[in-house]
Amino acid sequence: MTDTRAPQSVIECRGIVKSFSGVQALRGVDIAVHAGEIHALLGQNGAGKSTLVKILNGVHADGSYSGEILIDGKPVRFGSTSDARGHGVGYVPQEIEVLENLTVAENVFAGQTGLGGLLVSQRALQARTRALFRDLGLTIDPGALVASLTSAQRHLVMIARALSFSPRVLMLDEPTASLSGAEVDSLFAVLRRLREQGRTMIFITHRLPEVLALCDRATVLRDGRVAAEIGREDFDADRFIFAMSGQRLQRLYPHHDAPADAPPLLSVSNLSVQGRFGVNRGVTGVSFDVKPGEILGLAGLLGSGRTEILHAIYGRIPYSGEIRLGGQPVAIRKASDALRAGIALLTEDRKHDGLLFNLPVGANITIGNLGPLSANGIVRGDKEKSAVLAAMRALNVKARSPQASVAHLSGGNQQKLLFARVLMSAPRVLLLDEPTKGVDAGTRHEIYRLIVDLANQGVALIVVASELEEVIGLADRCLVVADGRVVDAFSREAGSEDRVLRAVAAAQAAASAATAGVAARTGNSKA
Amino acid sequence: MDRAAQRSTAPEASGRALRDRLTRLVAVGEVGVLLALVVIVVFFYVLEPAFLSERNIRAILRVVSFVGIIAIGQTILLVSGEFDLSVGAVAGLSAVVSAKLMTALALPVPVALVGGVLVGGCVGLVNGLAVVKLKIPAFIQTLGMLFIGQGLIQLVTNGYPVYPLPKVVGAIGMADFVFGLGWSFVFFVIAAVSADFVLRRTVLGRNMYATGGNPEVARLVGIDTNRYKIGAFMVTGMLAAVAGMFVMADLSSGTTSIGSGWELTVIAGVVVGGVSLFGGSGTMAGGLIGILLLQVVTSGLVVIGVNANWQQIAVGLIMVIAVGLDVLRRRTFIAGSSAQPVSEPGNSPG
Repeated sequence: MTDTRAPQSVIECRGIVKSFSGVQALRGVDIAVHAGEIHALLGQNGAGKSTLVKILNGVHADGSYSGEILIDGKPVRFGSTSDARGHGVGYVPQEIEVLENLTVAENVFAGQTGLGGLLVSQRALQARTRALFRDLGLTIDPGALVASLTSAQRHLVMIARALSFSPRVLMLDEPTASLSGAEVDSLFAVLRRLREQGRTMIFITHRLPEVLALCDRATVLRDGRVAAEIGREDFDADRFIFAMSGQRLQRLYPHHDAPADAPPLLSVSNLSVQGRFGVNRGVTGVSFDVKPGEILGLAGLLGSGRTEILHAIYGRIPYSGEIRLGGQPVAIRKASDALRAGIALLTEDRKHDGLLFNLPVGANITIGNLGPLSANGIVRGDKEKSAVLAAMRALNVKARSPQASVAHLSGGNQQKLLFARVLMSAPRVLLLDEPTKGVDAGTRHEIYRLIVDLANQGVALIVVASELEEVIGLADRCLVVADGRVVDAFSREAGSEDRVLRAVAAAQAAASAATAGVAARTGNSKA
Repeated sequence: MDRAAQRSTAPEASGRALRDRLTRLVAVGEVGVLLALVVIVVFFYVLEPAFLSERNIRAILRVVSFVGIIAIGQTILLVSGEFDLSVGAVAGLSAVVSAKLMTALALPVPVALVGGVLVGGCVGLVNGLAVVKLKIPAFIQTLGMLFIGQGLIQLVTNGYPVYPLPKVVGAIGMADFVFGLGWSFVFFVIAAVSADFVLRRTVLGRNMYATGGNPEVARLVGIDTNRYKIGAFMVTGMLAAVAGMFVMADLSSGTTSIGSGWELTVIAGVVVGGVSLFGGSGTMAGGLIGILLLQVVTSGLVVIGVNANWQQIAVGLIMVIAVGLDVLRRRTFIAGSSAQPVSEPGNSPG
């Protein structure tokens, strides 16, 4: 059916280059999306997908990047998101953004509930919504409160909202991230119907089976460039995996030998975490051991449950299952329990749950570690200062003084500062969530060095990183996490990015096959 | 790294250091209010030299000693990221309860005073538990408590002042230590110095700033943020009770109007002094200078003979301007807590 596709592009990007404070996110991307097709945009985390989407969507305004966007062959400039919408680019974000206390119809026409008039007519709104839903083949009651809908239905409401502007092209950003197998099927039915009506769509995802089942053409991004453009007739899981992983700039990882056989320091058995509605699917029955001096990597895609595993061990979210430390079961209900047991966590998002912007550099390092630096509850200024200076020197934190504001430090220095904080309590187990996120190349290497040094000192480390290459390069042993389960495990030298992507794809295919019987053409599950 | 390069160019570096120091000075906050205070004092003195008369200064300091005691609690609470609108009602309630205890129940004066403090502590505990455990916004919880407290004052007293009080109470109110200032001023100074020490120098204080700055981070480093917030509410309640009872001693009467309207004066004052409504920033010195500044303005306007209604307007304007400056300062100096990465210097290009 797709062989009859029109050669004309509805939306086209030419030579898009975008960098963030010196770090290049996109290095010249050309994409052409043809009329009436579902065009997949694929790539690993950090490949540049979301940056490209934000440009097409007007979030990164014209002028903040170089390159050209054409709609129906005419160059356009988006100064804002409403600009992009005005030019016919509809966008359905990954997170569900609905107004729970309003009706479905009000949500679909949010921001334009007057339908051009001044007063809101519920009847007219619901009639318009019903008409829209009929086109989509949806059976949701336009008068129902959104609070009563499932997350899949909410997503459909958001799609309807985007369609209410009659866009030329509809962008869907990982629409299946929070949906179950059956819900994915009903979403796909709607998308296929839209395609039959001649709509053009860009489908952003990192789930291969969905691309194979739904899309007509695919563009794979890697390291800010187009790694491959593949037509439906050439669709093949192997090809996608090759394009996504590929060969990239070789990074050097400090040498580290897995520790000799030793009893595990941290044992996790049958760890489960409840999924949160519409956010993630939790963790199901995960078990593993970490030896002292071992670097364990958790490889997996965003939302796979790898962060939740770390948070459960640190007592940040409730879990079921057993955690043993040095053979002794420990009950960890909150962060202070974990800290007392000698477990420390470096969180993923510095700005959100890492730095204290109201305190200077020094106090940011010592917060939570003031016990040994104080006497009778009074902070010993001299002791604190020398501890801070020692920590800054040890980790090479470049700040003008311990009194400097943390807001003005570079990302790399902020990250090293947080390392200094978690290391001050001399943890036996260190959980690292994206330890090199938003960090320049030089600091990245310093952090690798530090991780290996800590392992050599006998600390047990668990590392989560979106860049597969990094997890594989650092870890003595890797667990592949998909949909909250461990789906593969391999030790250093035995695995590759390829193997991780394959394991994830196989798990996703198995999951969707189990619920709906989608015949996915994936490769063999075991490499 | 280009950071090192910046340091190597000498003139630029010294200019940068100077700017840095100025920046830090302004960012500290209380320096600005202190300057404003001096300017305002000079302004009123030039217009009317009687403004700096002994009588007027004493009058200002007396009011500051009452309101200031509450401001100490409010500052601690604001630093921990919450605030309390019920302090005025708590001051009044504690005063009339202790007055009733020493008259209607004929309890010894010290016991009755302790009873008053307990009332304040209990109200603070209820506020704290409701905000922390039930997740009721502090605004709603303490506004509700303001009404409840006012109602309870009427219930306890039937609307009549509690009078006469034992002689010793009046004696407490009449005491004169220095410059015609009595017990309340002594208590205020001691409490202010201790609270300042706690906030600046102790683990408790540091953890309080962390709790107000980002409760999630505070929890992750092992701080029991709930306990800190509840504790701050209780301290605020108890200090409000103490202030209320000092006014009672001053008047030698458990008047039902004690504390009425103070909640806004106190919050306005400490906010003017640079204590952030968003939590985690501000100092005891700043908050108390802010209280003093508002009192100076109010008194100065009276002395130069401005219509009383204008005083209210002035207080309102000053508060709005001060908070506006606070927001501006946060955006410029403490930026980064907002969603956008304001600046990330030092990233090597390419």
